[in-house]
Amino acid sequence: MINTQALADANLELLHQFFSAATHDASAAMCRWTDGLISLSLDEVREIPMEEVSAELGFGDDLLTMVVLSAQGEVGGEMILAFDEYNGRRLAASLIGRPVDESAPWSELEKSALTETGNILGCAYMNALTRLIDAELVPTAPWFLQDYGASVLEQALLAQASQCDRVLVCRTGFHRHGEELNWRVVFVPTMALRRAMENALRRGA
Amino acid sequence: MSQSTLLETAQPIAVGMGQIRVAHGPAVLGAVLGSCVGVALFAPRLRIGALGHIVLPDSKGQPASPGKFADTAIPAMLHELQALGVHPSGLVAKIVGGACMFAMSGPLQIGAANIEAAVRILGNAGIAVAARDVGGTKGRRVRLDCTTGMLEIEIVGCPPQQL
Repeated sequence: MINTQALADANLELLHQFFSAATHDASAAMCRWTDGLISLSLDEVREIPMEEVSAELGFGDDLLTMVVLSAQGEVGGEMILAFDEYNGRRLAASLIGRPVDESAPWSELEKSALTETGNILGCAYMNALTRLIDAELVPTAPWFLQDYGASVLEQALLAQASQCDRVLVCRTGFHRHGEELNWRVVFVPTMALRRAMENALRRGA
Repeated sequence: MSQSTLLETAQPIAVGMGQIRVAHGPAVLGAVLGSCVGVALFAPRLRIGALGHIVLPDSKGQPASPGKFADTAIPAMLHELQALGVHPSGLVAKIVGGACMFAMSGPLQIGAANIEAAVRILGNAGIAVAARDVGGTKGRRVRLDCTTGMLEIEIVGCPPQQL
């Protein structure tokens, strides 16, 4: 008899190796972009029932500032970089060298700073995945938006939702000088990308 | 995936992706919707409300997770309400959501497909849509008051509205 749970755990362990490599590259890019200030770590790779994903990942009904990138196509995925108002404002201010001003609407410069952050992070991540599998991931232009976190996460989950009830997500932590920041990045691969990663890891094993 | 227990609590009850919740007043059912469609059914006489958080328009025959698809979720909601003594002719239906969150054009517009499917399937069941707030490019935070059937909708940057 096949132990399906053990098989699933083994696959998740393989995928963890994959996402660790991508996170390493994204962290290096983020360090360069922020003059060594910010680094990333892969906190977990796991499957979550679809109806629980928002709550588990902290994408509830609060307003979040987000940058979204897609790798379109069957072998693709969605990446969401999310901040609350406090953290998003502070990152933007540090990148453009201006004091934090939470009273004013977001300026185009602030939006651009966060969008570029998402672009650098997402491209490094997807470049690493491209290198590791035999398929090219081409990210779309990053998209800045402010909305309820769960409503955006919902869109990112669609590609997997059409095929299964449990969603594979990887959660990444951000750190400034070792201190954890309340930023979130979530990457949701399509089922085809997930299979491509598993196949690539088995070939390399 | 679907939830069939009749809930009777004053606390807002979250309806996650692919879930169906049925509750009696004074309960309030809540969801955050992007491209998903929320189908709210309310029986005024019995003060029973149901909210379905529908993800995709068509199950393509998949038997599992009826709450996820419009073609299976709406019949499941009606079945659940009928078990509580609610006939479809006594229901008020409202739909909300179905946004195109990333404002992309192209053939795969799930939000629009979800809206079309929900309206069509309700119509096939003889239920007209009494009110709707659908489409656009923004998410919605919605709450169904199971005492009054009022649906409160919040969109970022807009004043709250009631259907």
